[in-house]
Amino acid sequence: MGDLPEAPALLALARDVLVNDLLPLLPAERRLDARLVANCIAIAEREAAADLAADTIFRELEFFYKRERPSPSRFAGASLSRIAGEGPERSEGGEGAEHSEAGESAPELMYRLARELRIGAFENSPEREARARAILWRLTIARLRLANPRFLAANGFA
Amino acid sequence: MAGTQSPRSDPAAGPAADDDRRAALARFLAEASGAAACEITGLAPLSGGSIQENWGLDANFSGGRLAGEQRLVLRAAAMTGVPSSLDRLQEFAVLQAAFAAGVTVPEPLFASADPAVFGKPFLVMRRAAGSAAGHRITREPALDPGLPRIAERLGQELARIHAIRPPRPDLGFLTPPEKTGPAPQIAGFRAYLDHQPAPRPVLEWGMRWLETHLPAPLPPVLCHHDFRTGNYLLDGPSLTGILDWEFAGWGDPHEDIGWFCSKGWRFARLDREAGGIAERARFYRGYEGQSGTIIDPARVHFWEVLASVRWAVIALQQSERHISGGERSLDLALTGRRAGECELEILMLLDPGGCPANA
Repeated sequence: MGDLPEAPALLALARDVLVNDLLPLLPAERRLDARLVANCIAIAEREAAADLAADTIFRELEFFYKRERPSPSRFAGASLSRIAGEGPERSEGGEGAEHSEAGESAPELMYRLARELRIGAFENSPEREARARAILWRLTIARLRLANPRFLAANGFA
Repeated sequence: MAGTQSPRSDPAAGPAADDDRRAALARFLAEASGAAACEITGLAPLSGGSIQENWGLDANFSGGRLAGEQRLVLRAAAMTGVPSSLDRLQEFAVLQAAFAAGVTVPEPLFASADPAVFGKPFLVMRRAAGSAAGHRITREPALDPGLPRIAERLGQELARIHAIRPPRPDLGFLTPPEKTGPAPQIAGFRAYLDHQPAPRPVLEWGMRWLETHLPAPLPPVLCHHDFRTGNYLLDGPSLTGILDWEFAGWGDPHEDIGWFCSKGWRFARLDREAGGIAERARFYRGYEGQSGTIIDPARVHFWEVLASVRWAVIALQQSERHISGGERSLDLALTGRRAGECELEILMLLDPGGCPANA
């Protein structure tokens, strides 16, 4: 654990100072940049606070491929970026990565899902197809909760 | 995007380089217009234009076909070239074809690939009045009452663009129609995603649907390929120009209709399906009235799904321009995260029942 206040609170404070104290002092033509900076801070704030949802999605993905429930704590700490394959462990064959029962890391499973969707691998099984689709929905909603919750709400997703 | 937005200063260009460039450009303009002389009275970058750079160019011509004070736009390639867009000379030829077909575009005047004039290829066109900013157009209450009429007019404009059909020797540089259909586009998106650091399962799922639902080809027409809110100029309630022709090419007319209506281009008004400015029916009415053809909703649906995949890929490419070091930009850096919005739209279009329960 790091020092207090933790990252999300610190970022919220930084954003508040930027928007409420500094932005009114800026010339009009630079205010858009300040708003973009505020948006970046807001994204970082949400990402710093959001590992839990990603953990759930990855456990679902693992269950999808293994057909057995993994222990709930196995992937604790897997962030969405790591699950989505953006982490540094992708090409390392899994050293330091979260591994499934068969040794596939979170990013590896996500790659496998993407590859198999490309070739329509689940199209002959309505049950598999529906489960894969459910993972896509949950993944997308989790992504947008971080990137753009307002867009999510505008489309009717709480 | 071009327009009459206030020119901003250009800190990158030193005063000496600026003087040389102005002199060379003035000589070029005088010669190209048949003027005895040309004096450049203003040259400054215009805001907007995320891929090309646009300069506001004010010039005074002594004689020739443009005699007098002229307000022009000079359009050149920005520092990072984006693949698959036309060069400025090709864009100039497309603009000429559109202008001749009666499309509302700023009149194209000159083009040159001689690096001695401006350092890179460029084209010069008249500067139309107005603003293209999508957020403002979809938000400003004063514009609201006129927007349905603008949507109908845009439908008519698009039909005029689509009346340009091969064979066209003047547009012979355009990729042949058989190589621009949805299948080659999907192959291109997949090749791009294969080199991305992260897999995108939703895009893969969407492309699989597209690949298994390809519509039968229609006779090709000239598509603008970026016909949307943000790329036309409004001067108050008047349409003054369709902009940004760098992606034009042969295609299915429904491709432009799907792009115009796709959720990625509705800005502040997701509920107004025609570009965030009106109901879809109003835009369709303008198009159908002008073209004498009926829009096929199933085809538009197909192209709207493809539009969301394409926008997601563009968003990833834009953020890559920042990430891989070419351009330091908050705007570009943040654009990559918009891919998730496109993915939600793909799911909503193809799975309208929502997330399967109990799956």
